[in-house]
Amino acid sequence: MNAFVQDLLSGIATGCTFALVATGFVVIYRVSRVVNFAQGIFAVLAGMAAESFLARGIPHPMGEILGVLAGALAGGGVGLAAVGRRNTPPLASLIITLGIATGAYALLILIWGDQPVSYAGIAGTTHAGPIRIQNQFLLVIGVTALTFAALAAFFGRTYLGKALTACSSNPHAARLVGIDVRAMSLIAFVLGGALGGLAGVLLTPIQPVSFDSDVDLAINGFAAAVFGGIVSPGLSLVGALVLGIAEAIVAGYFIPSFQTGVALILLLALMVWQATRRRATEQEGT
Amino acid sequence: MSELPAEPPPLWQRLLSRQALGGWVLAATAVVSLLAPLGLDDAQLTIYVFIGLYTMVVAGLSLLMGFAGQVSLGQAAFFTIGAYTAAILTRDAGMPSLLALAISTTATAGIAALVGLPLLRLRGHYLAFATLAFQLIVLSAISQVPQLTGGDTGLTAIPTLSLGPIALHGQFRTFIFAYVVWVLAAGVLVMNRNLVRSRPGRGLRALATSEVGALAAGVPVTRYKVQVFALSAGYAGLAGGVYAFFVGYIAPETFPVLLSVQFLIMAAVGGLGSVWGSVLGTAGVYLLIQVLDTVGTAPGLPASAPAIFSYAVYGLVLVAIMLYLPQGVLPAIQARLVGRRAVSAVEAERSTRAS
Repeated sequence: MNAFVQDLLSGIATGCTFALVATGFVVIYRVSRVVNFAQGIFAVLAGMAAESFLARGIPHPMGEILGVLAGALAGGGVGLAAVGRRNTPPLASLIITLGIATGAYALLILIWGDQPVSYAGIAGTTHAGPIRIQNQFLLVIGVTALTFAALAAFFGRTYLGKALTACSSNPHAARLVGIDVRAMSLIAFVLGGALGGLAGVLLTPIQPVSFDSDVDLAINGFAAAVFGGIVSPGLSLVGALVLGIAEAIVAGYFIPSFQTGVALILLLALMVWQATRRRATEQEGT
Repeated sequence: MSELPAEPPPLWQRLLSRQALGGWVLAATAVVSLLAPLGLDDAQLTIYVFIGLYTMVVAGLSLLMGFAGQVSLGQAAFFTIGAYTAAILTRDAGMPSLLALAISTTATAGIAALVGLPLLRLRGHYLAFATLAFQLIVLSAISQVPQLTGGDTGLTAIPTLSLGPIALHGQFRTFIFAYVVWVLAAGVLVMNRNLVRSRPGRGLRALATSEVGALAAGVPVTRYKVQVFALSAGYAGLAGGVYAFFVGYIAPETFPVLLSVQFLIMAAVGGLGSVWGSVLGTAGVYLLIQVLDTVGTAPGLPASAPAIFSYAVYGLVLVAIMLYLPQGVLPAIQARLVGRRAVSAVEAERSTRAS
């Protein structure tokens, strides 16, 4: 029973990192209508950058913060390439983000090599009765909860957040009231990069990342995002937690190597189910 | 005064006109590519065979993406299925290789039709992710059933291509393979060209622009999409089968996700929806990869240099083509020569969006 609760908690922690990646997808997709294939790269980059900063003697929260900033910077760069030119069609933007994701491998291998990278998070475990939880798991869950609260405040209470939402619900109307849709798209990419980066710096101490860890993260994050139709951060969080827990249980009690397979099959079934419920006219142009 | 219909210009004038240039280039390419194997050594012939095989896959992908407007980022999955089916049928079931090739091609197309029925309900980015997910599932499934597929170690000693008692062995093996692949690739390209100019071809172009519009105009949208998906998968399956016979060894790591990206780059460079561009794109990108491999393995460079080079170039080429030459290289050249603007599927989408 205790083992089960511990599996459950580690599943929730992994699910939280999926949720952060998923919100990155959501934030970018809502405004720019681009599914960003480089989303996993932000996490990998931030994790590896944080490791380098920490190894150079930069103290703990700073190294991670710099890692997240690196993710945000990368997000801005991807945004510039993908939607920086006027009227880049979504199909081209998609292929551009895929190209950047591939090209980024070269950079990651060049700087950090092709071996997995990790660093120590916060040490120790917390005892709650008979259950022992790694503190890093608690940190992941806490930071994710704070991030989602901050995002809710940002989108609901600030002008910038409301402008981003306006662009996602009707870009033409947003332009009419004087919102620069392209600038908003770039801001969304920066925000998406930061969210991906946050997932990376939280995940690296639990699970070493190598340059191609982005595929797993992106697939799981996207599956969670699809749960909310790639537009709802809240539903993505639910999807991510379900996914994280399901995978922890599959890995712990059934076939360990089939973890990603479960995510993928869920993802496909979910997408097809959603597509059958939407009318064809609503999907035109997405 | 009655208007007489204009006399068609004499034949020699038509043969020398700018419009006929394409025909001449095509004929020259056919002759050169037919004669080329005579002057190549075995290592170069191997590259020639690979270019031919990849051309078949890329031609299918280009048709699917450029004409039908459906994105596939998992085309290597069908290449994989074709290779494994052909290998298992000949190696373990003892089937003659040509029969195995026919069955594996049909089976790949059939699997694509089955998978396509639900998946092609998805559009755009969703479909792109779904096809990528499909490839990951195929690779993971292959690792799960080692008694059939050899698991992660793969299948070795796959029989070569044979016709009755005559098997392709010995000195001229690669040479004959080069011609077999040439014939198959030419067949695929001619089939594509005819399809593109047919009534279903026009229907496909219509549904790429607007599915609702095409449906209203009487195009059987779902059926056409599934059929073209199955056809492009069939090309990839055929190429995969020949690949297995030619190389004689396959494993999951032979078909990474990167292979799908590579096919996409080749199709994009040649021009999505350009039939003859698939040859140019495939040959250009494949030769570039060969050059990079040679440079990357030069003495004094770290062991990771080839990987760094190829990732960097894949990324740069893909981004640069999409930003600056979205219609692809060959259509851009054609447009320059004929003095007409090339309109790609991507550009057409851009113009409908801008309006």
